[in-house]
Parts: sequence; structure tokens; C-alpha cells
Amino acid sequence: MQAIPHRSRGAAAAGTATSALLIVALLGLPVIMLLLRGGAAGLRALASDAELRDAIVLTAATATAATAVTALLGTPLAWLLARRPSPLASAVNALLELPLLIPHPVAGIALLLTFGRATVAGGALARLGLAIVGSPLGVCLAMLFVAAPLYLSAAREAIARVDPRYELVARTLGDTPARAAWRVTRPLAQRGLVTAAVVMWARAVSEFGAIVILTYNPRVASVLSYDRFTTGGLDAAVPVAAALVLLAMVPLLTLRLLRGRDVEAR
Amino acid sequence: MIELERVGARAGGFELRDVSVVVPGHAWAIVLGPAGAGKTTLLETIAGARPISAGRLRLRGVDATRVAAERRGVGIVYQHGYLFPHLGVRENVRYGARDVAWADALTERFGAGALVEKPVRSLSGGERQVVALVRALAPRPDILLLDEPFAALDPRGRARVRRELHGLQRELGFTVMQVTHDFAEAGTVGDVALLMEGGRLVQAAPPDELFHRPATPAAAEFLGAENIYRGTVRTAGRGWPGGLDVLTFDGGAFTLSALGEMPGGAAHAVIRAEDVVLSSAHPTGSSARNALDGVVAEVELAGVVARVTVEVSGVPVVALVTAQAVRELGLVRGSRVTASIKATAVHLC
Repeated sequence: MQAIPHRSRGAAAAGTATSALLIVALLGLPVIMLLLRGGAAGLRALASDAELRDAIVLTAATATAATAVTALLGTPLAWLLARRPSPLASAVNALLELPLLIPHPVAGIALLLTFGRATVAGGALARLGLAIVGSPLGVCLAMLFVAAPLYLSAAREAIARVDPRYELVARTLGDTPARAAWRVTRPLAQRGLVTAAVVMWARAVSEFGAIVILTYNPRVASVLSYDRFTTGGLDAAVPVAAALVLLAMVPLLTLRLLRGRDVEAR
Repeated sequence: MIELERVGARAGGFELRDVSVVVPGHAWAIVLGPAGAGKTTLLETIAGARPISAGRLRLRGVDATRVAAERRGVGIVYQHGYLFPHLGVRENVRYGARDVAWADALTERFGAGALVEKPVRSLSGGERQVVALVRALAPRPDILLLDEPFAALDPRGRARVRRELHGLQRELGFTVMQVTHDFAEAGTVGDVALLMEGGRLVQAAPPDELFHRPATPAAAEFLGAENIYRGTVRTAGRGWPGGLDVLTFDGGAFTLSALGEMPGGAAHAVIRAEDVVLSSAHPTGSSARNALDGVVAEVELAGVVARVTVEVSGVPVVALVTAQAVRELGLVRGSRVTASIKATAVHLC
């Protein structure tokens, strides 16, 4: 084996450092600039701007509801997809990942075509007092449509990482498949499931395209920042945008905390 | 009782094929075979983890082919234990128990009483195996499937757990099917031994018969037979009362007399090293039908025994003798010896 000359090694290290610096700057700089420019104003606006406060509360509440509904309905599906591989499961997987691939305004149009006031489903829901367009329910639905695939995919992976022999042992000890999944697999996959929920929540909070098409009002934080930008310019939009960034940091910090505990547990 | 009738099952890319065997009730069956033979898949198929794609499975005389795992009355213990890490030892042991007092009594009986307050993550490999065994026994299964359950235990612990398990089996009368790589264990505990290879059951017989009369040369090699020769069999045409014939096996370098029921043609002769007797002179007046003169090629001492390789017309014949015999016969490389083998010790397959 030939030794790498010192000069080449130095050049490689410099190249790696430069590329790393570039990508960190590209990803970090806009957020830092936004927080520097509007962070303090954003915090002040949270205290003084009732419309912003309402938008933040609505955003957090609808994202939480969308995540909770997905976790409730999606976790059994994720278990099925992880534990019962089949051509049908592959087809379902592909279908569930489709919303991740289509532009989000297109997702909004698809939702409008399905749940708009003039549609069968939308009309039926409206008669039950569950109007989609122009309601928090619509916001929730749009968030769920674009962000649930993230939860399902991560939850499926988390469940698949749990050795199915734990479930078999539980079944030989008398558990039905569902009970074994609840008593054994769910606790063992819990950290992965929580991470999946946090990622989905963060994605739901930041959603704009599908929401703005399906239900412009009531305005969530992302729609409000766009609204302020179009009506009042950059100065009006920055505090709202900064407040939204601060909200988005909640799941980021939660994830860091979870991973930190993971490392400690090992 | 466990009855498999031409059972087939899939485990990923692996396939269990055409397995037929009956393990009587209250029996202790040992499953042997090289890695990837299908031993664990066989156990998991009986336990209900692998859907049966062909054939039928009967447990206690009742068709269980399509019965869910939780209704088969089967307990399973893996080498890894698969203790539930989010629960404590006590919760693991009581997980499937209908009678908590019985589960706790079992815990004490198997010497795991001191572990009940401990978290699972703090247990050693051997302790995990003991707890996993107690957990599987707690619901009082009729059939216990063990996949190398004692591999992580030290010899003393292994002896104790095995003794307790045997006692419990005698008391309760459950049927055991145990995968092991330990031939000594197979010989001492098994009522019946199953030899698996490539997803198929090659042979099912009492352990002693399996070791001395393997069905195939590959089985003989796996079971540790040192002397396996390819050749041709001729029948002498003199039938014995038991239906056996005196056969002549022509291995090229030498000819052997054997007993068997096979027709003439291509065959393998299998001789275990412990069945080969060495003497410094060609024996006279011996009942051994085969006396092969040769030269010692190698002497490997291992404690009180020695493996002596004798070259007979260029073909190695391995004998397992005591170290004392090596000293008394003065066996060294180049010594001239005779290897004597009874016709009954030559197994043809």
C-alpha cells in the first residue's frame, strides 16, 4: 500500500472543511439572518399581536391534532406494513409515499377536488357540521395529507427494527397478534414512534402550499407570514416568520433531547 | 405428541420441505444439523410463527396446521432469550402465567429468585436464558421448544438447569424438542434425535442409532464419524436370522466385512474412531472380522485420549484410543500396527 503524501492529505482536509462550511452556511445562514433580524420582534409580537398569537395557537393545535389522528390510525397500518410484507403492502407503501412527491399546492387542489363544498364528501361532511374548506378541520386535513407519510414511513421502520421474535414469544405466552403488538412491539418501538410523530408535527407546522389552496382562512402562521409579506412587505412579514421559526425549533429541540437520552441509555 | 406429515414452510428465502416425523408425548427430542439446516425454522413452524405451506401438523393428536400460535399450548425459548427489555425479570416471568404463585415457585426452583428485582438489561447471557426458560414454563405448556437454550450457561449452571428441567418434565409430562450443537447432550438427554440438513429431515432415530448408523455420508460426517470410505458393496448371500446379510465392502485400498440389509452397488462405509482397536501385531484368534495392517502416520494426544491415524495402503484409518494404550504400545509415527474393526461396527449407507 502506498502512503498518501502529507500535502495531499492536507488538501483533502481543506476540501472537506470548505464543502462542510458551504453547506452549513447555505442551510444555517438564512435562519440565523431571520432570527437576528426578527427574533426579538417576533417574541414581542407574540405578546402584542393577537392575530399572530391566534395563528401560532391554531398552527400548533391543528398540527397536534393531525399528528394524533395519524398516530392513532396509522400505527396499526405501519405495523401491518412492517410485519406482513406482500405485493399489496408494497403497493400501499408506494401510494402512501405519493403525497411526499407531489407539489404541495397540487396536494391542496386534490384535497379541494375531494373535500370541496361542491363535492359529495365535502357536502356530506358539511351537513354533519364538519365543513372542510375555511375551517380548522381543513387545515388539519391538509397537514395530515402532506405530513402523515413521514410518520407512516418512520413508524414502519421503527416497528420493523423490533425483532418479530419478541412478538412470537408473547404469542406463545397467550397474546393475540394485536395484544402482542400493543404489549411488546409498541413499547420497544416507542422512541422511534415518538420521533416519527415529532418529525410529522414539524412538517405539519411548516406546511403552506396545501393549506393555502384548501383553506386560506382561518390563517395558520405560514399563511399569515405570506399574507403580511404580500400586504405589508418584508418588515411586516419578518416577526411572523421569526415566530414560526421559533415554533419549529420546539420539535428540533425535542428530537435532540430524545437522541441524547438514547445515547445515555446505551 | 408432535406429528409432522410432509410439512413445508417458508422463512424468507429459506424453505422447510417435506418434513415427516412423530415425536411421542412426554418424549425429549433433540434436533441436530449444521448451520442453516432449518432447525430453528422447524421449531418456529411448530410454534406457529411460520405458516405451513404444505402438509399437516398435529399437536396432542389434534390438527394444529391452521391454529394460531397463542392457542397451540407451545412454549419456545431461544438462545438469545428474547426477554422483554421494557419489563423487569418478575414481569417477564409472570407475562403469560395464569398462576402467579406457580411462576414465582418456578423462578425459585430454577435458581432465578435473586434476579426478580433486576432490570433485564443487567442480566448476563446465562441468566437471561434461565429467566426465558422459566417464562416459557410458567403458562404450563404441553410442548416446550428449546433453541440452544443452555448455550450461554456455565457448565455447572447448565447441569443444574438441565437437571431441574428433566425433573419438571417427569412431573408434568410435557414434550420437549431441543435444538443443540452439543453431541454429548444429544446422547444423554434425547429419546429421539432428528437430523436436519438443507431444510429436510435426513434421519430420525434414537441418538445412539443416529450416531452409529447415520443415513447418509454427509450425516455421518456432521455427526463426527472420522472414517468414511466410498466403495462398492457385494452381498455374500448368507442371510442372518435377523434379516441381515454379511456384506463385503470393497474400498479399493482395503476390503471390509460388514453386516447390513442393502443390495450390492455403490455405498459408503462409516466407522467411528472409538470402534477401531489397535494392536502391535496382527491378531490371531480374534472375533474382529477386519484386521488392517498399516503404519502410524500421526498421534494426537488430547488429555487421557489420543487420535491415532494409521495409513492402510495410503488410506487413513483413525482410531480413538487411550493415552495409556499409546504409551504401552509405543505408538509413534512410523510404528507398524494393525487396526481391527468388528463387522458390526462397519455401517454401510
